Amino acid sequence: MSVAVFENPKLTLKVLLRNPLSAIGLIIIALFLAWSLIEGSLQIIGSLTRHPSLGWILLPHNPMAVNLAAGNEPPSLKYLLGTNAEGQDILSRILYAAPIDASVSIITVLSAIIIGGFLGILAGYYGGWIDEIISRITDAFLSIPGLILLLALTILIGSGYFQSMTALIIVWWPIYARLSRAQTLSIKGRYFIDSAKLSGLSDFWILMRHVFPNTIDPVLAYATLDFGNVILTYATLGFLGIGIKPPTPEWGEMVSAGLNELPAYWWTAIFPGLVITIIALSFALVGDGLQDILTGRVNY
Amino acid sequence: MPSMAVYITRRIINMFITLLLLIAIVFTLIHVLAPSPYALARIWVGARVTPQALQAVIKAYGLDKPLYIQFINYVADVFTGNFGIDTMFKRPVLQVMATYLPYTLQLVLTGTVIALIIGVFTGAVAGAKKDTGTDYAIRVIYLVTWSMPPFLVAILLQLLIAYYLGLLPATGVVNPLYTAPKPITGWPLLDAAIEHDWPYFISMIRHLILPATSLALVSFGLTTRLMRNTMIDVINKDYIRTAIMKGLPERSVIYKHAMRNALIPIITIAVLAFATSIAGAVVIEDIFQYHGMGWFTTQALFNLDYPTILGFTFIVGISIMVANLVADLLYAVIDPRIRLE
Repeated sequence: MSVAVFENPKLTLKVLLRNPLSAIGLIIIALFLAWSLIEGSLQIIGSLTRHPSLGWILLPHNPMAVNLAAGNEPPSLKYLLGTNAEGQDILSRILYAAPIDASVSIITVLSAIIIGGFLGILAGYYGGWIDEIISRITDAFLSIPGLILLLALTILIGSGYFQSMTALIIVWWPIYARLSRAQTLSIKGRYFIDSAKLSGLSDFWILMRHVFPNTIDPVLAYATLDFGNVILTYATLGFLGIGIKPPTPEWGEMVSAGLNELPAYWWTAIFPGLVITIIALSFALVGDGLQDILTGRVNY
Repeated sequence: MPSMAVYITRRIINMFITLLLLIAIVFTLIHVLAPSPYALARIWVGARVTPQALQAVIKAYGLDKPLYIQFINYVADVFTGNFGIDTMFKRPVLQVMATYLPYTLQLVLTGTVIALIIGVFTGAVAGAKKDTGTDYAIRVIYLVTWSMPPFLVAILLQLLIAYYLGLLPATGVVNPLYTAPKPITGWPLLDAAIEHDWPYFISMIRHLILPATSLALVSFGLTTRLMRNTMIDVINKDYIRTAIMKGLPERSVIYKHAMRNALIPIITIAVLAFATSIAGAVVIEDIFQYHGMGWFTTQALFNLDYPTILGFTFIVGISIMVANLVADLLYAVIDPRIRLE
């Protein structure tokens, strides 16, 4: 039996925390988001008040300061995760970059849910030629692997924080359109929709009040897993050198910069890579747990 | 089977509509982002050209003509495989792609096959031993590899096996000291085999192992998860219980009868795995300096080589649409209960 996951968040949370794997994932995500919020606010306030040093007030070192004398230092008490070729502290750079990845993944997935959900519900609810047009456009987007479409878009839009986010949203919405459409189709024939229609409610009201809340469960369960996918893809863009403009640190870009120092100074590439893995894994664990609850593989 | 013919025709028509839409989307994007003929010509031939050359390109590509004519030309170009001139080598894009495609194909095919083999076996074992330590271990392993960025997997393999252990070459397609075999099929690996150039052949295989394994490691989790879930469903079916109660050995029932039936949905996932591998190949070829389409695409990206990127996008899109069609047909042939509609 499937259960409404997001109607009773307290119960969902309780079930998730009972599974040790999901619990670990949930804790790491909470820490990641809390840190991103604090560090991100400091960076924004710092750039608005022209005191950029506010951005690294909580960090052990200035993440952007070049110190060639301390280049490629191995992990030590002073530099917990070592330094890169420019002598910049790896740990500080990883922490400094966290809000970028958090904001990119949250904004991308939420925009994709809004755009894709809207189009998918329209297609599923009205059917006919509206469905035909929306579904064909969705298919066209989905026929190309995301990363390749992203690369093509990047050439058109250019590289940078907002540019990458725009490209990611363009690539990301179709899967949500397909999900919402399928979900809408499955509830369209139910009696409560019919009775809403018979009682003379407007289409807009039915869609907002009755269809949308009933399609959102599987969408959100998938989205939880998807935050990690966006972080992985964004890191790949950074790795290819088109995610963000230097000198701002970004996890994928850090790995690619460290590639030149292999194999002797392995920590320059491996630590940022591990951080990406841990964050993506946490989202996957929680997403997996939600999926289990949704398909009724877990008892309450 | 008349219904089959109708179905295939309908699918192909649908495919063409999807493809036309794809072209329309790309066309619109280009024109939204590059509003003047000059900006367009720059996209088409690269930034470093003289004004005269730019003028010539505008004439040659008809960039000063009305939009609908440009669109018709554009569609005609795509369908005749004319993706323009590559701005790095100044050769037709299709010709450049043909030289790099065999390497990517051998890489992606090998990677997908390894991924499917690992995925099917780990998934079958996890499903058969549901909720045991083995099941949890397999689940954690595939979730971890799934969550690793492809470039990290590639770097770790390269560090461990090529740099520290020195077992396999770290970069390249083949030992650069060897001379290439005479082109017969245009596929160097096959040519080497035909001409009995075994050192060249073996060198190519040795260079293939690490990148293909990296690809497989990132993508096998998808197969494992599907295989595990279908295995659990199949084992609970009546005919499996009957077979076990009839007194057949449980092992052979699970790994022969159940596994054979659980394999059917894997066909669809194979196409998906292939598609993700093509995208994954872009980064992995970059790290291993494996000069195939993916590596070439990243080069094109840095040089803002628009025609090449677009050509690659279309070729990949078309191949995946065709692969999807083939998978659906295979599905129907293997399991006649599935109605085509």
